[in-house]
Amino acid sequence: MTLPVPTTGVRRSPAPGNRRWLLLRAGGVLFVLWAAATITFFALRLVPGDPAEAILGGPGSQAGPEALEQVRREYGLDQPLVVQYLTYLGRLVTGDLGQSYSLHKPVATAIGEQLGATLALALCSLALAWALACALAAWSVRGGRVAWAIGSGLELVAAAVPHFWLATVLILFFSNTLGILPPVSVPGPLGIVLPALTMAIPLAGFLGQVMRESLLTAMESPFVTTARARGESEARIFWRHTLRHAAIPAVGLSGWAFGSLISGAVVVESVFARQGLGRSLLSAVQLRDVTLVTGIVLVVALAYTVMTLVTDLADRAIDPRARAVTE
Amino acid sequence: MPSRRFSRPRAAVVLTAAVALLIAACSPGGGTTGEPTGEPVAGGTLTYASGDAEPSCLDPHVGGNYPQALIATQYLESLVSLSDDGEVIPWLATEWTESDDGLTWEFRLREDVTFTDGTPFDAEAVAANIEHVQDPATASSTGYLALAKIENVVAVDDHLVRLELSAPDSALLESLSQVWVAMESPKALERSQEENCAAPVGTGPFVVDEWERQESVTLVRNDDYASPPADVEVPEGATLPYLDSIVWRFIPDSASRYAALQSGEAQVIDNAQPDTIRSAEPDDAIEELDAPRPGAANRIELNSGKAPFDDERVREAFIRSVNVDDGIQSLFFGTAERSYSPLSSVEPLGLSEPDRFAVDTAAAADLLDEAGWDERDAEGYRVKDGERLTLDFPVSTNQSIPAEQSLFEQIQADAKTAGFQVNLHPLDLSSWYGALAENDYDLVSAPYTKVGPDVLRILYHSASIEPAPSGYFANLAQVDDAELDELLTRASATSDAGERADLYAQAQRIILDGYYILPLYDQQNHFLYSSTVRGLRAMPTVSTPTFAEAWLAS
Repeated sequence: MTLPVPTTGVRRSPAPGNRRWLLLRAGGVLFVLWAAATITFFALRLVPGDPAEAILGGPGSQAGPEALEQVRREYGLDQPLVVQYLTYLGRLVTGDLGQSYSLHKPVATAIGEQLGATLALALCSLALAWALACALAAWSVRGGRVAWAIGSGLELVAAAVPHFWLATVLILFFSNTLGILPPVSVPGPLGIVLPALTMAIPLAGFLGQVMRESLLTAMESPFVTTARARGESEARIFWRHTLRHAAIPAVGLSGWAFGSLISGAVVVESVFARQGLGRSLLSAVQLRDVTLVTGIVLVVALAYTVMTLVTDLADRAIDPRARAVTE
Repeated sequence: MPSRRFSRPRAAVVLTAAVALLIAACSPGGGTTGEPTGEPVAGGTLTYASGDAEPSCLDPHVGGNYPQALIATQYLESLVSLSDDGEVIPWLATEWTESDDGLTWEFRLREDVTFTDGTPFDAEAVAANIEHVQDPATASSTGYLALAKIENVVAVDDHLVRLELSAPDSALLESLSQVWVAMESPKALERSQEENCAAPVGTGPFVVDEWERQESVTLVRNDDYASPPADVEVPEGATLPYLDSIVWRFIPDSASRYAALQSGEAQVIDNAQPDTIRSAEPDDAIEELDAPRPGAANRIELNSGKAPFDDERVREAFIRSVNVDDGIQSLFFGTAERSYSPLSSVEPLGLSEPDRFAVDTAAAADLLDEAGWDERDAEGYRVKDGERLTLDFPVSTNQSIPAEQSLFEQIQADAKTAGFQVNLHPLDLSSWYGALAENDYDLVSAPYTKVGPDVLRILYHSASIEPAPSGYFANLAQVDDAELDELLTRASATSDAGERADLYAQAQRIILDGYYILPLYDQQNHFLYSSTVRGLRAMPTVSTPTFAEAWLAS
């Protein structure tokens, strides 16, 4: 854990073993995407009821038989399930995500419209989570045993609070009581503060807990003693040396965290009435819009796998031991 | 088949008192919501925050649900409207006649109306709209049902349109007043559905400017607006609408929505929950608009199509056992009034019989004994032939608000005392539809919004037990009564108002007599708005708020 980072590894061109590993991993990505599409497709079809009803307006609008027949024909819902599945898969392979019947537009367009908002939220949340986690670590490391215990406790609580509860508390405090932040998303940077904070706080708790362990080891490492001997200030030692080492496992987790932020946007986007994929997913599930749900699940799965691949690649570049395993 | 026995010669020329109203309207500045009046101020942007799901299509011909009606009311207009007393009044049509046999209707249209894309509003436009609603490719549900009896549309001249029906339809005018069959530009209808869904073109006070999905729909002022319904008084020197624009937002979370109203991010919110309305009461800066929806009252339907509710005594025992009043009082904080009618209280022809729903546990116990449910098992539930008196109650969590779900739990507790085991199944919408299609329910509550008492035919005629291809059917109580069928069919065919009222009263009595339903309250439709908003009112048709006369006080 505390080994110095070999800088030579970064610049090395990939060895043949690396290429095979990359191919294997790319295959893995495809497998995960296929599995995600398949499971979503069948899971949605196993729920009782007919999507044709939902297509025709859902509650309060009872559809006539002719209209239902038409819809079923138009969307191929009258075909056997296996045929529907194969047709769907065939389209996916050619890159066609299909047509969303709840939005009356192509799924790719619908996702394109919402993806930006969710990515912005996820990135802001991730950045904010890192800032919070580091700030708390910095304070609790230097504040003695009491601060350490408080910091550890805060992280535990933060990691455990559910988004919907936290969102309500933040709205009550920042909007109703202080009146400084809008309770729902508004255009401009102000609108993203509360949603990002809601997602960042639990994640910060999680990152902090992961860092804490290695923070302890790093603080007792020889290089810290050396730095102290050089006369560096405690703050500088923390930010330059201890934190950098402690952060390595947390950085690895950021790939996973990013994926989880995208899927976790469902609650936050709904509470704050923000645009985004999470909200699309929620309404698509409610409306049984299979093509849209599968499209979004694929995007989330892609985000997870690609981020994991990227962090794994980074890990291999940084740590020779990771490479040795597969070679 | 509709019976024509009662249709007598009649040529009804309907010229409403609305014209007189217009002339009599000499007092300027009369706000419709009855707040302190003042000169309407032109300009400003109002933000409306809806708790409903964002419509998938802004054209209410497509599908046809309430969220679509809410927003479409701001940019689409219908041939006729209703007065506050429920009388049909002119809108885009100025007058109309019905033939003696009730099969032919002629509508005289306004000649000074243009769609916001410049297309003139004329007889051809009406024909194109009816054709659009009836085209299976449009996938209309609500509008399709409303116009089901129109067989042929003829443009007699530029501004006279003739509708030829397959059978007399006493509900035709009420049906046409609904925004689900409102008039859209025929030129715009020729575009692809994707385009038309994104920005339908009407004649209303506002125009769809931009729709950013899951964020907002921006509606801007129709500068050439000239066609308010006949009950609107335009103050001298004023031009409607007053607002420059409306930002229509979707904020699904109830607490966030209320917070947005309080912080001024929104000026009007819908789907206000009972606890929210209660907490807003002392706040002078917030007003409430209570606009119960027309059609059926919210009610619990007892599935008479299978045991145990195929026995009328068991149905009566259930209804006599549960105390609904106390539950409504405590859970709805006085925001909802108990209903004793199959119809909404806004329906003039509703029949309300409170005495019938008096709680009487002793009578209920006797009825259950009589029906053979005379033993109790170890847990206190009634038993017959070794089988427990069990009732399945699928609850749609999309349609039943939290207070209503709690009410069902109280009913469950009351019923348990009487010996019924009520199993509540909270389900998402699709699964709920599924449970109904499988006949997997004994109790169910489903809303139904429609203008006029003809909703009774949809909900209680035995033909509605026949499931649609999807498995859905509207007669959830599975009432199968030849006498009732006959009454409903005759009521929908007669063109005599007095006879129609009488037939619907008889029909409702049969429904109440048979203990098929437990009415709860009107379909709740509460709006909260900032006291700076003036001139806001709900349309007397489907109770959607209209901003045609709304303005923002500084």
